[in-house]
Amino acid sequence: MNPDGTLNTAVIVKLEPDFSEGNVSYNADGTLNRAETKNILGPHSAVASTAALYSKVKYGSRVSVATMGPPIAEAALQQSQLICDADELHLYSDRIFAGADTLATAEVLKAGIKKMANGQPIDIVFAGHRASDGETGQTGPQTAWKLGYPFIGNVIDYDVDIKRGYVKVQRLIKSYGYHDIIEEIEAPLPIFMTLDPSFIPFFNTISQRLKLARHQKEAIGRSSQYKEYLKVFSAQSLEVNSKAVGLPGSPTIVYKVEKIPRAKANRKADVIDGSSQGNIGQVVTRIYDTLGGTIIK
Amino acid sequence: MTSPLSSISQTKIKENQETFIDDTRKENEKEIEENYRHLYIVIEQEEGTILPVSFEMLGEARRLIDDFNKRYKPEEKVVAIILGHNIRHLCKELIYYGADIVICADHPELRYNRNLLYTKIISQIVTDRTCAEKITSSIHPVSTATTTPASLNPIFSKPRYMFFSADDTGRHLSSTVMAELESGLASDINKLVINDLEIRHEHKTKGKPIVYEKTLEMYRPDFSGFLWTTILCLDNLNPDNKKKFHPQACSIIPGVFSRIERDTTREEKIIDFDPNISQEDLKIKIINRRIVQSKVDFNNKKTIVSFGRGIKESPEQNIKLIENLAKELDAEIGVSLPISKKPYPVSENLTSTYMIPDRVIGTSGRKVNPLLYFALGISGAVQHIAGMKESEFVISINQDIQAPIIDESDILIKGKIEEVLPLLINEIKKHKDKLQIPQGIEQ
Amino acid sequence: MEKFDVAIIGGGSAGLAALKHLSNLGKQAILIEGGKKIGTKNVSGGILYSKNPAVGKVYNVENIFDNFLKDAPVERQITKYILHATSKDKVFSLDITPTHNYQSNFGYTVLLNKLLTWFAKEALQSAENLGGGIVLGVHVKSIIWKDENTIIIETDELEPFQVKAVIAADGVNSEIAQITGARSKFTSSELYQGVKVVVKLPEGLIEERFEISENEGAAHLFAGDITLNHIGGGFLYTNRDTLSVGAVYHYDSLIENPVEPNELVNALLSNPFVMELIKDEVPKSKDSYKNLSKEEELRARFKSNKLIKSWKDLHQAYYSSSRISDLLASGLYKTKDDIKNKIDSIHNELVSKYDIGFETNYVELEYSTKLVPDGKRGRMKKPYYKNILFIGDAAGRGIFVGPRIEGINVGIDDAVRAAESISKSIDQNNFDRLGERYSKLVEESPYTRDMNEIDKNYLKTFLDCTKQVPKDIVGHRYGTIFKLMSSNTLRNISIGFANTLGYKRLLPILESNNTYTDVPVEIAERAGRDLQKSYSITIPTIAERIAKLDYNDDSLSHIKVLNSQSDFMKKMVTLCPTKCYSIENERVMLQHEGCIECGTCAKETDWKHPRGEKGIIFQYG
Repeated sequence: MNPDGTLNTAVIVKLEPDFSEGNVSYNADGTLNRAETKNILGPHSAVASTAALYSKVKYGSRVSVATMGPPIAEAALQQSQLICDADELHLYSDRIFAGADTLATAEVLKAGIKKMANGQPIDIVFAGHRASDGETGQTGPQTAWKLGYPFIGNVIDYDVDIKRGYVKVQRLIKSYGYHDIIEEIEAPLPIFMTLDPSFIPFFNTISQRLKLARHQKEAIGRSSQYKEYLKVFSAQSLEVNSKAVGLPGSPTIVYKVEKIPRAKANRKADVIDGSSQGNIGQVVTRIYDTLGGTIIK
Repeated sequence: MTSPLSSISQTKIKENQETFIDDTRKENEKEIEENYRHLYIVIEQEEGTILPVSFEMLGEARRLIDDFNKRYKPEEKVVAIILGHNIRHLCKELIYYGADIVICADHPELRYNRNLLYTKIISQIVTDRTCAEKITSSIHPVSTATTTPASLNPIFSKPRYMFFSADDTGRHLSSTVMAELESGLASDINKLVINDLEIRHEHKTKGKPIVYEKTLEMYRPDFSGFLWTTILCLDNLNPDNKKKFHPQACSIIPGVFSRIERDTTREEKIIDFDPNISQEDLKIKIINRRIVQSKVDFNNKKTIVSFGRGIKESPEQNIKLIENLAKELDAEIGVSLPISKKPYPVSENLTSTYMIPDRVIGTSGRKVNPLLYFALGISGAVQHIAGMKESEFVISINQDIQAPIIDESDILIKGKIEEVLPLLINEIKKHKDKLQIPQGIEQ
Repeated sequence: MEKFDVAIIGGGSAGLAALKHLSNLGKQAILIEGGKKIGTKNVSGGILYSKNPAVGKVYNVENIFDNFLKDAPVERQITKYILHATSKDKVFSLDITPTHNYQSNFGYTVLLNKLLTWFAKEALQSAENLGGGIVLGVHVKSIIWKDENTIIIETDELEPFQVKAVIAADGVNSEIAQITGARSKFTSSELYQGVKVVVKLPEGLIEERFEISENEGAAHLFAGDITLNHIGGGFLYTNRDTLSVGAVYHYDSLIENPVEPNELVNALLSNPFVMELIKDEVPKSKDSYKNLSKEEELRARFKSNKLIKSWKDLHQAYYSSSRISDLLASGLYKTKDDIKNKIDSIHNELVSKYDIGFETNYVELEYSTKLVPDGKRGRMKKPYYKNILFIGDAAGRGIFVGPRIEGINVGIDDAVRAAESISKSIDQNNFDRLGERYSKLVEESPYTRDMNEIDKNYLKTFLDCTKQVPKDIVGHRYGTIFKLMSSNTLRNISIGFANTLGYKRLLPILESNNTYTDVPVEIAERAGRDLQKSYSITIPTIAERIAKLDYNDDSLSHIKVLNSQSDFMKKMVTLCPTKCYSIENERVMLQHEGCIECGTCAKETDWKHPRGEKGIIFQYG
């Protein structure tokens, strides 16, 4: 927390392929054509940015946004700033970071977060649920662990008690073979949270709405001048151990990539021409057979 | 994880082939034998119910370790770790389903999974020398019963392999535990192989070919479902930066591996672990927990209608048709993973109702087994199939009869969604009238 | 509870003007708007006037928004005002520009989405400094008086808040009026129903076709057979690179003889004269790619869509001098001919490689409707309730006399009067006489005078324009209105005549089938030019029009049918512009999803605006 009692928050974001139609390009074999696909701020990163905006509107927090990647990853920072009206943007970019797995990435992010807000401690770190291209969901919790911050995932709502320095969090837990659960947690700051994709900030007073509008307007201005807010860090300026980052710091490697062989057919399908009404009639008969005299409401 | 493939030799070692083994490797292997042993599985349970994925992990672990023990010496074990409160009675079930040993931490504070606390306790367990000795003694009961010769009691430091569940809880836990243990983790795995691999890697081996024995090949399907990436967790044998990375860990997709048959004759070996809980870690409190009904109800519907990228030519119209079909059949609507990434500019309401992770069927979403399953414009990526293959009867609509979904379909209607669905809905309505189903009767 | 000085309900032109003016006066105000963005719920014909009445003073848009003349995103300044009488393939045209210029500083065509977004930006700048502002996506559901001078506003979305006064600018279907009981719903004789489509046309073609220069605009009005025998008429206004084409009819006449609103606008679009004005070269959509594999088809679709997009863009640019300069400055093209060549080469590629055909047709962008209050009959005599002041359409204040149709300017004038009244109350910290003060100011407005009595000088100006109508071509059976038009002597004494007849008796003569249909048809038949259709027009079906609209569907209906068997509701099956009503087993059923919130059905339904952010999202308005 800052001396004036305001919160310091951070957002970890990632530049990802844009999967929207017209922007995404697939190879003939169905795999992603990365060269032709545009990159944007990942959707989960956008949710994390929204969570930071929520904190900004509700608690007047300071927000720093960070990403690790090549210089083009700036685009993710800019797009995040447009959402959360960030006060500071961090890009961690160095050749030696290349090839990093999640553990080595977490090492860099940890070092970066410690350099935010002029070295003032960060109270809440927000990150996305998982990346839409990598989908591992590991970087967030591993960064949290390295920072020594308790990790809380799948957050759908949160509320900070600034006086006590506590946060109250609602999280949505889904497990296979069990009910969905909403869990309410109370934890002292600092905390590292990843946001459930269903997180939607809710601003329910006029003043919050007015502040929101002001920040949204300010964000447009800031993100158009995002370079003024941008700090680029190398391994050296981050003061990370070069053996703990990039390839040297990564326990895992990608050994091979192959097309997934087609599984053995489990069923023998009847192929039916869909343009014939008669054929469709037969399908419907089998639908009713399958549902076996059960009532269709 | 984007290490250049070109730098890795992809040759596996053939039997009888003379291989290059340098001193580094020998030394390395020796240490592994002594320090890193067994396959540990972090079991997931909720309020005394063991989640299905736990049994699936046990099944796969059993198969792998049985094979491992045939090929290698010394003998290693499948060790299940279970944390919770009043869960002691669950341990024998884990044995019946394939665990050799269960380490059980039963404590009121462990009733629910709190990431910080669980991470610490699991890390305590897997690095605990006493537990390790008890495991060893189970392998060499005669010698340990009296004295423990140093040669038979190697210095255990960490597990060789470790499995977690690839649901949200398991994914988070695996990440923090592996950060604590400072080793590598592969997520969302659906195939596992243990092999001796000759690796030539620009950093790991400084470009020299080195054989890594007993290496866990962890296969993960990528987001498109078309590519399989094999992840390895390897020690740095590079003289400039030597480092051990153990355990080799992964999270396992629920629903892909089969459990073994329950065998109640298996010998129960349960180790009770007394967790060391610090007051500091209890500051994170669970105030309330409640079960919620998801708005999306896959469990109580007889029919599920799912759609994928095949709606692309007229997404708005197609989704509306799909809504109609679902209404006629009292079905829930599901989607394939790509749809949850909101690829089409349809109206905000349709986007927020359907293009959401909550509706994803497959390994990144839900596993379903309705009586009737529709796959509309879904090509049939492996992840999706894993989520719906248990359905009783599958009808797909696709323009491409080569699409992999055909192998999981009982009927494949060849055609465009926008053309087939109006006919289908019409026919369903017609038949409905004919059947004269009495109104107001609930199943 | 949060407290503010003033709440303005509704972010249309009147509400935003009120916010701007209150802020100009240094008063804190919060504007509450239901749409997720400003300007997405608003429809206008649309011309915005600035007036200069001979007697009295009105507050014009440029008085409130200082930068209006410099910066406002208006479309074109109307310099030609032409009335057409139509009958089948004949049209007789009458230049009535003098009626447009009558006591007028200017009239700009506008598209409300664009204009209101600018209004909001300007108003917000002043409002924010005073702790006020604009709150979007919020729907007011009730109003409670804590005491005489303290109003608590409850919404669907936010915690309740407290204000000292309210300006109700929530339009012709004002819910505030209903909640407070300030007025009853407008009757069918107090309303017009307007329906409009926005048509895309390159700006250079507009200038060429309408014979106007770069900054000029034309307004065309239509009467005759295009009215399908209803009281009212059609309009076609030139925007920068679009046209607003629509029709406005007296609600009474629609209830008497229901016709689908889209048919009314179609009657205008398919008039041969209008067809020539709206036509453009259009690539044909293609639905089948025979003989292509799935992969090839996808590739072809992708490529041809991309090409069509660049063709359309260049086609638009080629007819715009500013876009041409931009393109030349970009260095991509050296000369205008280069651009033309590029257009032609894309055209050829599409035809030869992708088998995409081109045709003459028109490009419709958006279909919309709106109810227009007739101030002559429906305006609130006392436009207030306690501390709530009603302005613009909410107060029923629209001017509709012959070709004179004004609304936005009236709402702005009201807004200033309301803001001035409230400002005084705040200064004096006394709200007791707020309503009366405002009511008095509104009574003083020249616009109110125009709603009370016909401006005889205006009538004379109009009749003078009709001099061009050849004499003795129509028999006397059409009565007074034609007599007025056809006789020089009578025109000259029309002021005296109007005085003798009186407003009440004059109105039915003016607003009759004779005026809007029969006489124009007769004139067109006898004196009109012959027209030929040069192409066959493809007009979208109503289903296609609705499919093109953008909605944020609300699963809850904002409308409830009260009596599903009433005659009125049965007429809604025809009169609802987006076919939300159907009849099943003699009962009228509602499907609210396609609703564009015009309020046509409001009279006999429980009609509310949708919850915040929900419902129709107009792109042009």
